[in-house]
Amino acid sequence: MTPSPETRHDETDMELINRWKAGDGRAATRLVGRHSQALARFAASAGERDGIEELVQDTFVRAFASLDSFRGESSLRTWLFTIERRLMLDRRRAEKRSRQTVPVQESDQVSEYGALDGLIAEEAQERVRQSLEALSPTQREVFTLRVQQGLSYKEIAEVVGSTEGAARVHYHNAIQTVKEFLKDE
Amino acid sequence: MNKCVDAELQELLPDLLHESLDGGTRQRVEAHLAACESCKEDLEVLRTVKGAAVFAPTIDVDSIVRQIPPHRMMVPSVEKPKRTRMVSWLVAAVFALAVVGGGGLVVLKESPPSKSVASSIIAAPDAQVGAVVPRPDSIVFVPADPAIKSSPSDAAPSAAPTLALASSADLASLSDGDLVQLMDDMDNFDALPAAEPEPVIAVDSGDSL
Repeated sequence: MTPSPETRHDETDMELINRWKAGDGRAATRLVGRHSQALARFAASAGERDGIEELVQDTFVRAFASLDSFRGESSLRTWLFTIERRLMLDRRRAEKRSRQTVPVQESDQVSEYGALDGLIAEEAQERVRQSLEALSPTQREVFTLRVQQGLSYKEIAEVVGSTEGAARVHYHNAIQTVKEFLKDE
Repeated sequence: MNKCVDAELQELLPDLLHESLDGGTRQRVEAHLAACESCKEDLEVLRTVKGAAVFAPTIDVDSIVRQIPPHRMMVPSVEKPKRTRMVSWLVAAVFALAVVGGGGLVVLKESPPSKSVASSIIAAPDAQVGAVVPRPDSIVFVPADPAIKSSPSDAAPSAAPTLALASSADLASLSDGDLVQLMDDMDNFDALPAAEPEPVIAVDSGDSL
């Protein structure tokens, strides 16, 4: 017997997308639930500290508004990472502009370090965080997408707007840096 | 420690970590690991990085779903009223004025049934000045010289002339069928494409580096 949509938990992303397009709002809940935490982890790994939930929400709102243009040539999660990364870049540019006009307060610096301290409690985790901070932004994105999210080089290249070869080079350089950092500690 | 010489297998270590390798490839990577100290070290680093879960807040799925508007079914674009009809009549009016005002200036004759009336215009022998005659695809200047014709093939005499227009007065002598054909030809003068391009909705794709 074919399970009803309510009982099926192995539906592909495309099946859920089609159900949502047909008017089934529960499909949206399934899709958001399936990918939201990965998006939050990616944002945190990429250095986002504040407003991660808002960032994830904006990513989904924008993605659902453009779902008609999603053809399934890449995985939905890769596509979501791409949208989220663009939003992060927009945010950073906006923050950079605001920093150019608003002088940094001492309290901002304190809160920044305080937030970072709160992110990772364990000593080993702290060392990993520091090793990731030693990477360039692109190396960090490539490395975390590869190691923590398990994306292929092709998918990573799509997310960061680069080539597979460049993604491989970034990964290779990143793991050498991280390895050296952790060895020296 | 010697560096790994098998870059292909070295790059697969994250996939081994995520258990996304097929059976054969997994065996190859594991066999390589048994003999490569550099890759063993890499794998240990990768395990440490993957295990050091970076703090990320728990996402409230329902609050996000509430922000997502329901999918709007694709609405076919509303067909705009065709402007070509009006343009056709304007062209027809200009054409009629040119014919009537010319008073024997323009002669239409020998038009094959498949060709439009306008394409068979030649200069009238008694005309003293040129006339500008609109055509569907261009504006043609018809000189006063009777030797010059719009095209040799158009001016070639036909054994069975279907339409002859010597002057505006001769319009009355046209048969009903000829008048209908003339009106149809004028009606078909489309100066603009019949259909407008589909509207393009700009989508903010954001920045990419």
